[in-house]
Amino acid sequence: MFKNHLKIAWRSLKKQPFFTFLNTFGLAIGIAGGLLISLYIYDELSYDRMFADADRIHRIHADIKFGGEDRKFAVTPAPMAEVAQNDFSEVELAMRFRTQGSLLLRKADTEANIKELQTTFVDSTFFKMFGLDLLAGDIKTALKSPNTLILTKSAAEKHFSINDAVGQTLILDNDDSYSVTGVIDDFPQNSFLRDHTVFMAMSGYEDSRIVNWGSNNYQTYIKLIPSANVEDIQEPLRDFLGRYVIPGVQQFMPGFTEEQFKAAGNHLIYSTMPLTDIHLRSDRVAEISRNNKLQSIYILSFIAIFLLVLACVNFMNLSTAHSLKRAKEVGIRKTLGSNRGELIRQFLIESGLVSMASLVLAVILAVILLPMFNDLADKNISMPYTNPFFWLILLASGVVLGLFSGGYPAFFMSKFIPVKVLKGTSSNSLGGGKVRNALVIFQFAISVFLIIGTLVVYQQLDYIQNKDLGFSKDQVLIVNDAFSLDNNANSFKEEVKKLSYVKNATLSSFFPTPSSRSDSTFAPEEGLTDQENALSMQRWGVDFDYVSTMDFEIIAGRDFNRDFKNDSTNIIVNESAVSVIGVSPEEAIGMRYTPDFGEDNPEFFTIIGVVKDFHFSPFRAEIESLSLHLSDRAYALAIKLESGNFSNAIAGIEGIWNQIAPGQPFDYYFMEDRFNDTYQSEQRLGRIFFIFTALSILIACLGLFGLAAFNAEKRTKEIGIRKVLGASVSQISYRLSMDFLKLVGVAILISLPLGWFAMNKWLEDFSYRIEIGVWVFAVAALLAIAISIITVSYQSIKAAIVNPIKSLRTE
Amino acid sequence: MLVQLNNIFKWVQSGGQRIFLLKDINLEVEEGEFISIMGPSGSGKSTLLNVIGMLDAFDEGEYNFLDESVHSLKEKDRSRLYKQYIGFVFQSYHLLDDLTVQENLEMPLLYKKMKSPERKAKVADILDRFNIVAKKDLFPAQLSGGQQQLVGVARALIANPKLILADEPTGNLNSTQSKEIMELFKQLNQEGVTIVQVTHSETNAAYGSRTINLLDGRRII
Repeated sequence: MFKNHLKIAWRSLKKQPFFTFLNTFGLAIGIAGGLLISLYIYDELSYDRMFADADRIHRIHADIKFGGEDRKFAVTPAPMAEVAQNDFSEVELAMRFRTQGSLLLRKADTEANIKELQTTFVDSTFFKMFGLDLLAGDIKTALKSPNTLILTKSAAEKHFSINDAVGQTLILDNDDSYSVTGVIDDFPQNSFLRDHTVFMAMSGYEDSRIVNWGSNNYQTYIKLIPSANVEDIQEPLRDFLGRYVIPGVQQFMPGFTEEQFKAAGNHLIYSTMPLTDIHLRSDRVAEISRNNKLQSIYILSFIAIFLLVLACVNFMNLSTAHSLKRAKEVGIRKTLGSNRGELIRQFLIESGLVSMASLVLAVILAVILLPMFNDLADKNISMPYTNPFFWLILLASGVVLGLFSGGYPAFFMSKFIPVKVLKGTSSNSLGGGKVRNALVIFQFAISVFLIIGTLVVYQQLDYIQNKDLGFSKDQVLIVNDAFSLDNNANSFKEEVKKLSYVKNATLSSFFPTPSSRSDSTFAPEEGLTDQENALSMQRWGVDFDYVSTMDFEIIAGRDFNRDFKNDSTNIIVNESAVSVIGVSPEEAIGMRYTPDFGEDNPEFFTIIGVVKDFHFSPFRAEIESLSLHLSDRAYALAIKLESGNFSNAIAGIEGIWNQIAPGQPFDYYFMEDRFNDTYQSEQRLGRIFFIFTALSILIACLGLFGLAAFNAEKRTKEIGIRKVLGASVSQISYRLSMDFLKLVGVAILISLPLGWFAMNKWLEDFSYRIEIGVWVFAVAALLAIAISIITVSYQSIKAAIVNPIKSLRTE
Repeated sequence: MLVQLNNIFKWVQSGGQRIFLLKDINLEVEEGEFISIMGPSGSGKSTLLNVIGMLDAFDEGEYNFLDESVHSLKEKDRSRLYKQYIGFVFQSYHLLDDLTVQENLEMPLLYKKMKSPERKAKVADILDRFNIVAKKDLFPAQLSGGQQQLVGVARALIANPKLILADEPTGNLNSTQSKEIMELFKQLNQEGVTIVQVTHSETNAAYGSRTINLLDGRRII
């Protein structure tokens, strides 16, 4: 019997190649999309789970509201790790990272430096915390003594073979000598340490031993004992404020009390987050690596489910519509003795065949599309061919999809009553029309929703890219590692400025890109110890050309000027700082602030200018207070170029670099690119939205196309009669198309409010955002209508031009 | 007694009125009979045939088939009953277009869950008996109307039913083909198969052993 079912299923599919194609292809697109997104989500969810005991590792956080700023840090004070280990019996182990950004590395006795982008100091408990093994070196001594480091395999291989790495000496930033005590394997792409390559012993980092609760610079991880409950340490962690932080501050601000601190509306809350949650749930200041947002996982899951449901709906629609042709068969089979179960089984086998074919096609599609998808999602996902679970899940989902999408048609068709269908009663009485209509509405509602989503995401991205930033990000080239030039940094700058295509240049470590931060707390000259006057500000060291190169607008006071002798004790602040102080920009000029209010002879800085606010952190966040100081220490040179041939300019600047610093790597980027990187996750979302919107519309159109064909066929007789009675081709095709347009209309009405609501929710995340205009809805609606007219009209016109003699001829 | 209908009524409700399709039908069919049902269009011939074939329900009355009371049987048992004892022949043949002659013939046996060797033997048998061995791999569309109906009759017969119900079996055939089919029915009847046919044609009716006439759902003779 099974063989027979299979045979008949195969023949009936073969007999209707167009219908079978629509069904298979629609379903395959849905599955391929769902498969790719599932792989992506699986990868996202797998972050940091590869570490042994990952479920027992937590990171300590700090939420701090002070000095007019309210911020959430991923970092804590240096003493936190030790205190946590000593105070909590639940804590088995604690360790810290003190990230250092990029470093230049060279082997002793060689000239050429190699740049490593992500480096960090770590405590020697690093290995135990994350269950790491050394490929070379002794785990008992590695990272114990000062000036030792370990490297990842790929970083080590740049300098020497792994086997003789241990014991070698590396010079860091042309300055400190470190000896290599171990080599570890590279970290997987889905770990928070994926980009870190150099780990230096914390014991050589002086600051790490100073008990200072006032600055937050250390990523602190704790591992709990197996029986511990992380909730049990939350309450005691909160008490750290009164127990450690306040007494620490009182050393230099004797009148400082916890009550006073809280009464001013301030807070400082320490809490923890599981290691495995960080990648998707943490968006704090000073994250160790770029995280993703849980929200985007939700959005993608929805899209994946949408796609699959859309494809299944298509399948149901086409199959039930098509069932008309099968009605006679059902009738005959029933009179020949088939019962309903038998028929249901037969139709399920048929849909099972289609879904298996779609599955195969989907895997092929997914394999072809994977590189593009990786590009799109900025991932490095591969098909887990060797994982039996992958195939098992794939097969299971094929079966489930087959049952799900084939179930309704099978149920529907097996219900036909032989006497009716064999007599050839009018096909309208077969029913299922309402369900089909509902399904079409559903499909188009989703499509319109996704169109709205795409439009809003792109509009917001466009807004960000073209918003007045308060500075000019275009044509600014930033050359890194200026410090490696030592005292030649200034002559490099002067030489570069002489080039004809260079407008201006400035040396600084801080630029209006999101990675630039240097938090400080300032106090005014009057009311020095009154913490209500404290002002949290960024403290950026710059030179005389900074404001002019960046094109900042001075709205009060003046820029730094070489002609003023004591400008080194002056600062320029931004509008936000002035508004936190609570004065007008003009009034702020001449006010004096100090960052070292705890010390005996604090150094005061006088405000000499106020710059218009500029966006230096992402648009998601409000602009923070900021101050500019003159400083000799600079990490990079920012060069404002004339528009024109950039590659020429870069070559020229590199030439100067090589003269001044032979052997040093020339490393540069354009500020605009760095700026765009910040919106990567939004841009990615935009692209993903766009692609999957297109896919869902394609699927919906396939379905609509099939339905229109069916509808025209069903009404062949009616169309014939109408034509005999004098209806024109256009009247008939209008009539047929209207049937569907009504459904699309209903779909639009449903999805507009949903789209409005959902996208407003998404926009809430941005401090600077667009308002959703009416035109978005108009465009989405018109697009849906236009697409459906194009899809349906082909079939309608085709049906309308048939000669009525043909359609009215009886059997 | 093969079929016994007592006071069968069947109606449809239309605009608050009952329209009777069958009105007080009494009929007995003995094994070995060949009955023709006649009457003008809309007189209820096909409805009566469908009721006898258990494809259609009735609203009032009693129906006994081989001493089982069909009116009180469950759907499942009714389907078992007609699967076992009744074969259908249709005016428009109703062969499955996607299956070959051989496969069409095999279908009722499959539904009876007959084992493959037995099935094959039966199909070969009937192909032989109906002289259509050469056509066994053809699809219905490749056959003439007469040949298709021949397959239709063969299919009705293959499971050895006690009763064959034929709804205008020659309605779509020309006179030569008609004659062949009717001769076939006559021969089958002589071999012991009970036949009830619906027909418009006096000639065809004459093949039967008796004729029942319907008018507006009532039996007039």
